[in-house]
Amino acid sequence: MNAARELQSVPAEEQQPSKSRFAFLEGWLYLLPSIVLFGVFVFYPMFRTIYLSFFLADQIGPFEFAGLENYHYILSSDSFQSSIKATVLFVLFTVPATIILALFLALLTSEKIMGIGIFRTFFSSTMGMSVAASSVIWMFMYNPSIGVFSKVAEWLGLPVIQWLQNPDYALLAVSLSTIWMSTGFAYLIILGGLQNIDPHLYENARVAGVSYFYQLRRITLPMLSPTLFFIVTVSFINAFQTFGQIDILTKGGPVESTNVIVYSIYKDAFINNDVGSASAQAVILFFCVLALTVLQFKLGERKVHYQ
Amino acid sequence: MKKLLIGLSVLFVLFLTACSGTESASGTTEDGKTEIIFWHAMGGELEASVNEIVDNYNKSQDKYTVKPVYQGSYEESLTKLKTVAGTEDAPAVTQIFEAGTKQMIDSGNVQPVQKFIDEENYDTSQWEENISSYYQVDGEQYSMPFNSSTPVLVYNKDAFEKAGLDPENAPRTYSELKDAAEKLTIKEGDQTSQYGLSILNYGWFFEELLATQGGMYVDNENGRSGEATKAAFNDEKGQKVFELISDMHEAGTFYNVGQTWDDMRAAFQSETITMMLDSSAGVKGLVDNADFEVGVAYLPHPDGVDPQGVVIGGASLWMAKDISEKQEQASWDFMKYLSTPEVQAKWHVESGYFAINPAAYKEDLVKQEWEEYPQLKVTVDQLHDTVSSPATQGALISIFPEARQQIVTGMESLYQGTDPKEALDKAAAEVDTVLEKGSRSR
Repeated sequence: MNAARELQSVPAEEQQPSKSRFAFLEGWLYLLPSIVLFGVFVFYPMFRTIYLSFFLADQIGPFEFAGLENYHYILSSDSFQSSIKATVLFVLFTVPATIILALFLALLTSEKIMGIGIFRTFFSSTMGMSVAASSVIWMFMYNPSIGVFSKVAEWLGLPVIQWLQNPDYALLAVSLSTIWMSTGFAYLIILGGLQNIDPHLYENARVAGVSYFYQLRRITLPMLSPTLFFIVTVSFINAFQTFGQIDILTKGGPVESTNVIVYSIYKDAFINNDVGSASAQAVILFFCVLALTVLQFKLGERKVHYQ
Repeated sequence: MKKLLIGLSVLFVLFLTACSGTESASGTTEDGKTEIIFWHAMGGELEASVNEIVDNYNKSQDKYTVKPVYQGSYEESLTKLKTVAGTEDAPAVTQIFEAGTKQMIDSGNVQPVQKFIDEENYDTSQWEENISSYYQVDGEQYSMPFNSSTPVLVYNKDAFEKAGLDPENAPRTYSELKDAAEKLTIKEGDQTSQYGLSILNYGWFFEELLATQGGMYVDNENGRSGEATKAAFNDEKGQKVFELISDMHEAGTFYNVGQTWDDMRAAFQSETITMMLDSSAGVKGLVDNADFEVGVAYLPHPDGVDPQGVVIGGASLWMAKDISEKQEQASWDFMKYLSTPEVQAKWHVESGYFAINPAAYKEDLVKQEWEEYPQLKVTVDQLHDTVSSPATQGALISIFPEARQQIVTGMESLYQGTDPKEALDKAAAEVDTVLEKGSRSR
């Protein structure tokens, strides 16, 4: 009996390690491309940023250890506080509006009617435009002396507003153009989610004879919740990382009213040559976005209904 | 499948290494010519003009080849240069804007052209002194001036006539400026359809308005007698500039055009504004595109001040250190070619920048151009009338970009009703902090 077990177990023990070792290596091999990509383009820059945030550094590299001085300097500066304010306001202006607008458009066009493809193409078309190109178009529209908005305002007898030169309106103006730019993507994702909902559910609803809003509340939104959750998370992160339209439309001005954190990081790193301070801001931004995403997963995901 | 995967991974790694593989930026071409790379920041029509000049140079001799590469705006190309400076990829010759001068000197990666001037006794007196002195530090010529411009007052002559002002006599002092702007402003009810003056929210204009009063931007003679430690622009002279803007904005005769040059020019072309400060390099385009007569005048100054002239703006050409001797010779030869009267005449006419070699103004090409655009001559005269002093040589600081942002924020806060002195003091305090921080850099 004993001998028999040994006889059985010996080959098994000899085989397993080599097999599992091979499987282990094979697993790593499959992971290699993404590990290399992430390592080179995500993890290395991330750790380097954290490292640099503790130094006085310029574009060539660090030159003096500074401890927490960069953080201290940032947190006590008025300019960073106005950056945080601008960023939070920007997120609040853009994310809910984008998603509600996209949801509305997607609900309108989720029916299968003749010619619906044209509308779907229209509504998702802003996704195909680069931020730079759209920003330039908006810049011309906002121009107070030759832009469309001021011409219309003049024609209607309303006061002409200097959208991008007035600190009271600049952030609003940039947000408006951002909503326009990001609606296309959100629309496309939500529309895809709507198409994925089991049609039987709607058939049942029709048989039961419930109202459209009841159906929307009890079937569409719950079934759409994973998609909505995804788009909310992505939109939040995108809004926190907005750069292109700020750079082109306002350059962070007037009076720093649109100087969102990412733009402030860019300015410090590439214009003011203060990489240490830029890195510290990047680290702060990273932890803010991380905390927010964790919070979203903790609170939001409970309400998400996975099929 | 596995083989395919392994193959793919190998390809991927190869791809990554290929990305990091570098090509020597400057070297020798197949036909034995020495090749140098020339980075510049001249976009649009100016790029075409630069390329043509370089082409002509390459054809004019058979020892050297220059390869021009456009690197985006001044700020962008300076950033790019800083990341490659001192490596093999660094270009032999780079165009750097005036505000980057101190950063370039401090970087230690530049070869002052003074060495070649001394070696062959090159006569720099043929250069415009008011331009070349900007790039002279401690008696040493660091870079070769290339494209230079100054600010001027540009105005709509037709609107002057309509308002009963003399179109040939532009305002010189602040009080004349305020008077003229008052007359030029047209209000209908509470709507203003035409404003008197605009100044772009750009730090350079403040620097100029300060310098023309003989005011200093930073201490230690604008950082030229020693390292600058404190902002000096928040004195009486700086306040006069901010007060002018604040007063006129309050009176409703000043129009805030934001920070974009094109927006300002669009407002001028569409006759929303009738006077503005612009760079002399923009004058030709304005004259070409306007439906009205464009006048050009000297930069205005406060009453009772003897105007000192202007600080030179624009850019110069820098030679990299640690390049081969052949490449150094090539770079120097190219620079010398650029400063010949013929090339400078062509450059002045096509770009509107000054000729750094005044002999160019005697070329027929320029004479013809000046007959067609008499406005261009005004810009050159203003430069010649400048008194060379630390004030008009301009500040020598490495933190110019940040200082300019602070001035811009200060200007913008004026439109919100901030007290001029308060706005200026705040900007000065910020600049002091940055100067202190900057002094700790290498």
